Amino acid sequence: MRKICWIFQLLVVFSSCQNTPNQKSAYPDHVGDIAFDEKIDDPSFKVCTTGRIPQYYEFGKSLQYKGEKPAIDKHFEILKQNESTAESGYITIRFIVNCEGKTGRYRIEEMNNDYQPMSFDKKLVEKILTLTKELSGWIVGGNPEQPVDYYQYLTFKIEGGKLIEIMP
Amino acid sequence: MTKNMLSASRLVFVFLLTSLALVAYAEPNCNIYKMENNMPCYEACVLATTGGGAQGSRASQEKFDKAIEQCPTLDYAYMEKSVPYLKRGDFINWKKLIDKAVELNPTLHLGYRGWCRYQFLRDYRGAIKDFERLDTLFPHDIGYSQNGDYQLTIVKALCYSAIGEKDKAIEILETQLAKKGYSPMVYDYLHLGVLKMETGNIDGSIESFTKSIALNDYLAEPYYYLGLIYKSKNLKAEYKSSMEKAKAYYLKGYKRFDPYTQPMHKVYLSDIDRELSTAQTF
Repeated sequence: MRKICWIFQLLVVFSSCQNTPNQKSAYPDHVGDIAFDEKIDDPSFKVCTTGRIPQYYEFGKSLQYKGEKPAIDKHFEILKQNESTAESGYITIRFIVNCEGKTGRYRIEEMNNDYQPMSFDKKLVEKILTLTKELSGWIVGGNPEQPVDYYQYLTFKIEGGKLIEIMP
Repeated sequence: MTKNMLSASRLVFVFLLTSLALVAYAEPNCNIYKMENNMPCYEACVLATTGGGAQGSRASQEKFDKAIEQCPTLDYAYMEKSVPYLKRGDFINWKKLIDKAVELNPTLHLGYRGWCRYQFLRDYRGAIKDFERLDTLFPHDIGYSQNGDYQLTIVKALCYSAIGEKDKAIEILETQLAKKGYSPMVYDYLHLGVLKMETGNIDGSIESFTKSIALNDYLAEPYYYLGLIYKSKNLKAEYKSSMEKAKAYYLKGYKRFDPYTQPMHKVYLSDIDRELSTAQTF
């Protein structure tokens, strides 16, 4: 009887492993999900949501930042004075704003004007990332009684090494 | 039904579909495939248009993959699969998918791709290319933006203005506004007013802002820009009252808004407050 139970348990474990969707699918639970990566992410940054983390636009409030978009533009103004280079395209930084308004789990996507992956000068990317991490005016998602985390991104349009516009 | 009749019916359906789709995106009519006896594409189309997972969820993306596998020419599945990448800032993957949709059905997806290039990436030159290609396919009306705010020729004008061709932008805007049967959209005159103001046509800009207000008096922006004009004309009282009105409207929520991006010529509270502060000591 004990042997039968043991075999049954093995079968259950085996079949549950086979059905794990993460192992079969090319997709995360949701497009754009940023899983914690101990090699690059700050372990002290905590998310409060246990389930799906919504996107910034799902609150129907657009960009939620103290001082609105002009405050973000001003924060990055220094990049408009950069030295001219031949590099043009877009640098996007995606991250999570947690329920305390703190940010973490930054991910970077760089592409040229033809939407093809490219690598900008490391110093420029590092500068943008550092400035993004310094932004401290993110407004918490949800409502005061039930604050939630959300995904946000900032896209920097670069022309000749200089910052032209910030989206969204 | 003969093969010729089927082809003719399909053409009619395709024409109706593309015409409607230019006004607003709609799900495809899967029965077109059924009429052609193309059951793999019919089933794929039904699958792609049936609910199944929230937008961008694994279930939803896999559903579109399955539909594409079954019917590789199903442009709708490519387009729908691309959307979450766009909204979430993964533009490389968005572009690969939307390009495929455009390749399969340019008449249906060019306007949408151009609009997204403008709205999400400020890729003005890329958007102009898409709109001008669409102009050759639909010379009379290239359709409307996905959010319903604009006729796309107006967006083309905004793209030209953003790359410095302001006179050309004004010409495109005025030509569109003068077209027989064209009903101005709520922001058309606001943009025309700003462009005229920027090119020094002050009387023309006042006229445009006045028209903007007459058309839609639920916006802080025309009052703000009118305030700037009064400031330039040294009309202190008008400058102050216009900015006060802009602030009151702004605080009521009467302002340009889009849940995803920041619209062109949008005004912010800090802009209005700065002008009000200047108006105190003007």
